[in-house]
Amino acid sequence: MRFYKLSIVRGLLFMVIGTLLGVVITIMLRLLLGMSAWRAEPVLVAGALLGAVFFMFGTGVLDDWLKWARGEDTPEPSVESEIQGYKRYLHVSFDHKVIGIQYGVTSLFIMMVAGLFALIFRTELAQTGLQFLTPDGYNTLISLHGIVNIGAILLGVGAMSNYLVPLMIGANDMAFPRLNAFAYWINIPGILMLLSTIILGGIDAGWTGYPPLSANLTKIGFSMFFLGVYLIGLSSIFGALNLITTIVRMRAPGMSLFRMPIFVWSVLATSLIALTATQLIGLSFQLVLFERIFGMDFFNPEQGGNVLLFQHLFWFYSHPAVYVFVLPGLGVISELLPVFARKPLFGYRWVALSSMAIAIVGFFVWAHHMFTSGMASFLRVPFTYTTLLVAIPTGIKFFSWVATIWGGKLTFKTPMLYVLGAISIFLLGGLSGPPNATVATDLHIHDTYFIVGHFHATMFGGYLFPFIAAIYYWFPLMTGRMYSERLGKLSFWLILLGFYAQSLIQMQTGLLGMRRRIADYDPALGVDLQQLLISIAGFVVGLGVLVFVVNLVRSVRHGEAAVPNPWRSRSPEWQIPTPVSGHNYDEPFEVIGDPYDYGLEDSEYTTLGGSSPSPLPASAAAD
Amino acid sequence: MTSKKQPGPLRILIASSHPLFAQGLNSLLQRRTEMETVVVGMVSTIKEAVEALHELHPDLVIVDYDDDKVNREEFLARFVEGEGRLRVVLLSLKEGGDEAIVYDRRSMAASQIEDWLDDWSEFNEKASPNREYPVQMDEEQEQPQRRNTMRHIIVAGLLVIILTVVTILLLTNIRLLPEAASLQAIPIDDLFRLDFIAIAVLFSLIVGLMVYSIVVFRRRKNDMSDGPHVEGNIRLEVVWTLIPLGFVLFLAYYGSAALGETQAADPKPLRVDVVGSQWSWRFEYPDYGIISTELILPVDKQALLSLSSTDVIHSFWVPEFRVKQDALPGDGFERELRVTPDLIGNYKVRCAELCGRLHYDMLAAVNVVSQDDFDAWVVSQTEPLSDDPVERGEMFAQQFGCIACHSLDGTQLVGPTWKGVFGSQEQLDDGTSVLVDRDYLFKSIREPGLQIVAGYQDLMPANIAEGMTDEQIEDVIAFIESLR
Repeated sequence: MRFYKLSIVRGLLFMVIGTLLGVVITIMLRLLLGMSAWRAEPVLVAGALLGAVFFMFGTGVLDDWLKWARGEDTPEPSVESEIQGYKRYLHVSFDHKVIGIQYGVTSLFIMMVAGLFALIFRTELAQTGLQFLTPDGYNTLISLHGIVNIGAILLGVGAMSNYLVPLMIGANDMAFPRLNAFAYWINIPGILMLLSTIILGGIDAGWTGYPPLSANLTKIGFSMFFLGVYLIGLSSIFGALNLITTIVRMRAPGMSLFRMPIFVWSVLATSLIALTATQLIGLSFQLVLFERIFGMDFFNPEQGGNVLLFQHLFWFYSHPAVYVFVLPGLGVISELLPVFARKPLFGYRWVALSSMAIAIVGFFVWAHHMFTSGMASFLRVPFTYTTLLVAIPTGIKFFSWVATIWGGKLTFKTPMLYVLGAISIFLLGGLSGPPNATVATDLHIHDTYFIVGHFHATMFGGYLFPFIAAIYYWFPLMTGRMYSERLGKLSFWLILLGFYAQSLIQMQTGLLGMRRRIADYDPALGVDLQQLLISIAGFVVGLGVLVFVVNLVRSVRHGEAAVPNPWRSRSPEWQIPTPVSGHNYDEPFEVIGDPYDYGLEDSEYTTLGGSSPSPLPASAAAD
Repeated sequence: MTSKKQPGPLRILIASSHPLFAQGLNSLLQRRTEMETVVVGMVSTIKEAVEALHELHPDLVIVDYDDDKVNREEFLARFVEGEGRLRVVLLSLKEGGDEAIVYDRRSMAASQIEDWLDDWSEFNEKASPNREYPVQMDEEQEQPQRRNTMRHIIVAGLLVIILTVVTILLLTNIRLLPEAASLQAIPIDDLFRLDFIAIAVLFSLIVGLMVYSIVVFRRRKNDMSDGPHVEGNIRLEVVWTLIPLGFVLFLAYYGSAALGETQAADPKPLRVDVVGSQWSWRFEYPDYGIISTELILPVDKQALLSLSSTDVIHSFWVPEFRVKQDALPGDGFERELRVTPDLIGNYKVRCAELCGRLHYDMLAAVNVVSQDDFDAWVVSQTEPLSDDPVERGEMFAQQFGCIACHSLDGTQLVGPTWKGVFGSQEQLDDGTSVLVDRDYLFKSIREPGLQIVAGYQDLMPANIAEGMTDEQIEDVIAFIESLR
């Protein structure tokens, strides 16, 4: 496939054309309406929007739908992709496995960009005084670090869900493969818009973008920020729709809901949230965007606007959003522990339903982000109760995990290390929750580094560690090769130890008075040493991530060939030849047992078999 | 799975992996039955049973109820889903002599099937309550297992206790909170201490058990077999749901009570209006007519702070006081915060909500002094204003936050320096040039953003001078003029 025919290249070309066209059309419209020809912000926003539409058109992801709209038929996509090598992933594909990898690679890439931003501002923060960043630049870097990482997490969740769910339920693809591709590609213009803010004045209102600050600052970057998040949100919604339909309708015969792999449960719960809540961040950002461009003073206090309204709308999504971030990762933990402990998942039904419980309760807690906001004082109390209630289903997961490994026969390959690390870090994050949940203590720690420590720990424990574990675990399935166990363990210890140091010290400095989102801190706080240590720890984490990525890249090309089902898993995706390609299952299989009946002799999960241990090479048997 | 009503002998399928059961039953059927039967197959695993159902179309299936290897629930689930006119007999040799359950697929309505499956599961639970534990062994073999488990629990429990103690010692011996300097801090710090203990206990519990498992429950070399088949334990699930629920409800209640305590209202507090502007604080004492850039408070007296902002959202926080409250812009959006300082000292208030470029530096002094010192300060502040407009202007320039962005010594800050600016010719950002005289300055203060000096951004808050009278602005201009 010629380079210039690849979807990404054509899409970008079309995007440039579309942007210019949008600019020209808007200028003409403005002149027609008697306004001045040029006002940078509305003109560029319109250009960006049209550019995004043209991008999608240029990639070719809309082609089949356009044909249907014209009454034409489209052939079924061929089983094997015609494009070889890495180029396959730069082109539109309807195969959920290709899309999953596209999601995953994009996610890792922008995560490293956001991580780079962090290393930059952590260098600035290592000492008091402003060394090399301007305050504006600093504020923009932390805001982008936040929103780009959030995008990376959503993409990573998309990667795991899209790649694994059809394989796990015995389907040959998702319910809506074209929608699946659309949901991936729309992230690209969204991410480009976010990154464009750097050269458009930056965004210094934090990733939360509260007005009036985000409405007043005459920085075009803000509008790009709002628009970019909007597009990424669309991806979430469509992806969730696709996943729910697939899970509800396309499970293999015999796979009742309580016979699904537990990861599928967590994706179901996640998708229910993403499908229904994402609209609220789109709405809240759209309102500020309209305030900026059209002068609609929703949040302008001088015109009777209410700044608290924004916060309620925003957090109504953004709290459930964090459960979108962590539920799949918690599902990965539940999925992997039985395999590496050779024991059933303890209390499978309770664990499955706990994901649903977290999803539901998560809708009722949003105002705990607003305890100091000036909302009605008495209303803060019920939110304390609901927020603390989330600890119950979460606790069920923790106890179930411990009970799963208790009495088992544990082995400690890299995926298992990351899973165990995830549990302890998510525990740390979760336990730093109650001081935030009770209003009185939250008054002290809100907007400090205690909060920063809390959410980084929950994100690393609930998303990043499980995501890396999943990549290592399913690596042989995706590539037919094994990763380097040595580099895997090295990356694990670097990230784990660096991150523990970082989190604990962050929480301490927050309690001592270190606010968040500040380019410089007062020496009178007495946290100079802590800040230096946090910066060093951050670099250690960054190094660990680098080792992980190097491991991936090297192993894709030069990794040792993997044996089939190296983990001796009962799950169906391991019972077919690796690497998995084309239509997943040549013949449909039936489910005839429970997924995690390790230890129950001769119990089969599916008609594909796989309960007997397969012979392992010598290197794998010696732990 | 379809089967027609076949004429001829009754076709029987026997499902059991125990040879004695299958062979024995087979012989019995051959010798003692009155109607014609033929055993069409004997299967010993569920897989074989499913295949046999498909291929052989038996009329009757006899399932060995005691056989662990034939997964009964699975088989019966299939049985229900199938379309064949089939009867299943569950036969047990253990549970009493005549315990045989017959289920007749030919005569059950669809709704009955659901109930039947439930009944069957219940029956199964009652009949073999030990299903959750490893395969039932006779008494002698069971005892060592139980002792082993107890040993694990005791050692792991000890580890958890040690970890808890160590963690609590650690948490209580490192500096975690700034000194408490307000009455409101008391219930808050109590709550923190409770939280720290709970965190130490729960962290040690989970991590302790995990570490124990990692060390003790490892796979032995060359042991490729699986671990014990433990699926769950309902009692344990209920316990570890209800106990945390109780604790969480207690914590929520205790925490809310603490909030109530921090909001206890003094009937005659000291009123202070706190105004945040990008990027400075102003404190006004309406009872005394004082405007100050420092917050001076008498010790042991509740101050009722009324917070507001002239532009974006700010937040008032003195770490030693613990309590925090956002300052919102807009009429009618004043928010109250009650603080009763109880420790004389010099503290700082630092803006705690990102408010733009100089958010990190939006600080002000907060001095808690004795009542006598406070009274003396009030007197000194309410002395009649200086006669000299320049002196007054300097005072107002500080109080209303001008100095945050305009330097007096030539340094370039957020806004143009005031040194030497009066009477000079300045180039504006639209290319025109203007004389910096009284008119220009007055307009620039009342309506910032109309005529911006080239090289600077439109950052001056629109209503920064909302609280200033014209005379006060004239004084400030006089002060600017004096800075040649």
